[in-house]
Amino acid sequence: MNLAFANPGRFLALARIAVPWVGTVGAALAALGFYMAFAFAPADYQQGETVRIMYIHVPAAWLSTVCYGMMAVSSLGTLIWRHPLADVSAKAIAPIGAAFTFLCLITGSLWGRPMWGTWWVWDARLTSVLVLFLIYCGIIALWNAYEDPARAGRAAAVMTLVGAINLPIVKFSVDWWNTLHQPASVFRMGGSTIDGSMLWPLLTVAVGLTLVMLALHMAAMRNEILRRRVRTLGLIAASTEP
Amino acid sequence: MDDPHWGFIVAAYLATIIILSGLIYWIVTDYRLLKRALAALDAAGTKRRSDGEKG
Repeated sequence: MNLAFANPGRFLALARIAVPWVGTVGAALAALGFYMAFAFAPADYQQGETVRIMYIHVPAAWLSTVCYGMMAVSSLGTLIWRHPLADVSAKAIAPIGAAFTFLCLITGSLWGRPMWGTWWVWDARLTSVLVLFLIYCGIIALWNAYEDPARAGRAAAVMTLVGAINLPIVKFSVDWWNTLHQPASVFRMGGSTIDGSMLWPLLTVAVGLTLVMLALHMAAMRNEILRRRVRTLGLIAASTEP
Repeated sequence: MDDPHWGFIVAAYLATIIILSGLIYWIVTDYRLLKRALAALDAAGTKRRSDGEKG
């Protein structure tokens, strides 16, 4: 399947069908999850109603690292396998990952002010996520610094793989250092510490937003393929002008 | 609605709506602009070599 859709033309045909379906199912699941979070999930005994920010903050945090993981795998595809769609995928996912990381930082800050009494603290988890956001911004800037997409792709792939060292730091920062941010409570050894009444809405939103992210990624990949066609045709038009 | 922190909750969801709608709007607008640019190049008769080989 990987090779079957390596052809940009075939990918465009797949995206035409998949983007609306995956996007709609994802949006519907996310809406259902938010409904469950506000209609059925109880307030937390310590956080009160403010826990409802977690139903967007936690999925945004997951997606910020998932998007980077996808970008790192795509970068391997660019540098090792020279897959024709690898750098298209890597470029397309960068702004989406940056948006989810920014959303994670904003919602975390809006949760931190009433719960911790501060908008921001330079603890390891918050700082490593801010670094993740800055790496995304750097990669987007690098993509735009080169005229030739192939050269930009190789440079961005190297930077992405170097920046991937930040992913385990984000994940394990709460275990390695004494942080104000709480440790993992969903994906942890020994199972989740969250009650089902809160866990199910959280997982529903997370799956829904993951599907939305995948639909946006495919749509952005389609845009990038079209952008390269426009560039190629523009060069041909310029070279044939009298 | 008695919780004193509803303002923070509303702000978090407003930020979510703004950021995700902005992302969707940017991708959709980009797609339309690219399709328009491709149509203009096609109307001008510009073709890739691979398009010419196909017929």
